[in-house]
Amino acid sequence: MNRRRAGRILTAVLIAALAVPLMYGMVQLPAPGHADAPAHTNVSAGYIERGAELGGSENLVTGVLLNFRALDTFGEVLVIFTAWLAVAAVAGTASNAERDPVPPSPVVDYVIRLLGPFIAIFALFVIVNGHVLPGGGFQGGVLLGAMLILLSLVMDAETVARAVSARSWIWLRATGVLVFAMVAVMGLPLAGYLFGLPDEPGLRQVLTVALELGIGIGGGAVLAGLFFAIAGADRS
Amino acid sequence: MTGSVTAKYREMRVNATDLFDLVLLALLLTCAIGIARLKDLAACAILFSAYSFILCLVWAHRGAPDVAMTEAAVGAGITTVLFLVVISRVGRREK
Repeated sequence: MNRRRAGRILTAVLIAALAVPLMYGMVQLPAPGHADAPAHTNVSAGYIERGAELGGSENLVTGVLLNFRALDTFGEVLVIFTAWLAVAAVAGTASNAERDPVPPSPVVDYVIRLLGPFIAIFALFVIVNGHVLPGGGFQGGVLLGAMLILLSLVMDAETVARAVSARSWIWLRATGVLVFAMVAVMGLPLAGYLFGLPDEPGLRQVLTVALELGIGIGGGAVLAGLFFAIAGADRS
Repeated sequence: MTGSVTAKYREMRVNATDLFDLVLLALLLTCAIGIARLKDLAACAILFSAYSFILCLVWAHRGAPDVAMTEAAVGAGITTVLFLVVISRVGRREK
């Protein structure tokens, strides 16, 4: 009892000791949205001024993601692919989950079947327009994955998982990594350095959309794969 | 006269913006405390989804539509589904 109390007091003291310097730092931060803040005057000012022209996409976020910081984005694509590999390796050895005894209600069933195609078209729209509008490969890919997961709620998850053969699933899931690696290597002859996009606007646009499509399809397939693997529908 | 009214209006507008954010941040804090205290994992997953959705509103409100979309799709959508699938396999109560 006494030890527990001492532990609590020690925790409180430690938290206070951490909170004081943090708050001290917070107070010294410039006000949110302040134009003279260092965050708005150095690198980001350059991106805002010339990013659309240099990055090749009107949506500056996409320009940063796919061009200026392409290596980081490649890492992210690699991470979600690796995450699926790990989950598939672990979940594949687990016993199969018992089937849900409650069938979905006819309303849910009908609404999901009705919405499916529209979600798919919206996902494609978000992916392909990523360089002009908010959104892009990751967001559209998540929408695609969500559509597959929704469909596997009303149809059997195994039916959805078997719509594509196991070998094709692996290639689909690797699409993001493969397309990104290909575009990165193409940067060597076209722009002179890895991950570089060519200066010619038409070609650059094509490559940007190709990157978005790769990330979108790969991301959607990976997310659906995570769901299938955890739900135990992945055994073929 | 007009100038001072405009300045005052601007000030009020900024305050309303901040107030909106403060309400959202208070909701975020409530969700976070709830997640930390609840023992029911399914309820935690749903609260986590609510947390992501409120955070999505913060992003959208602060002019980051790309991040807001990602937060809504990944945080509120897919993550919740994956949590729920895992919970359906490992059991609902925290031990």
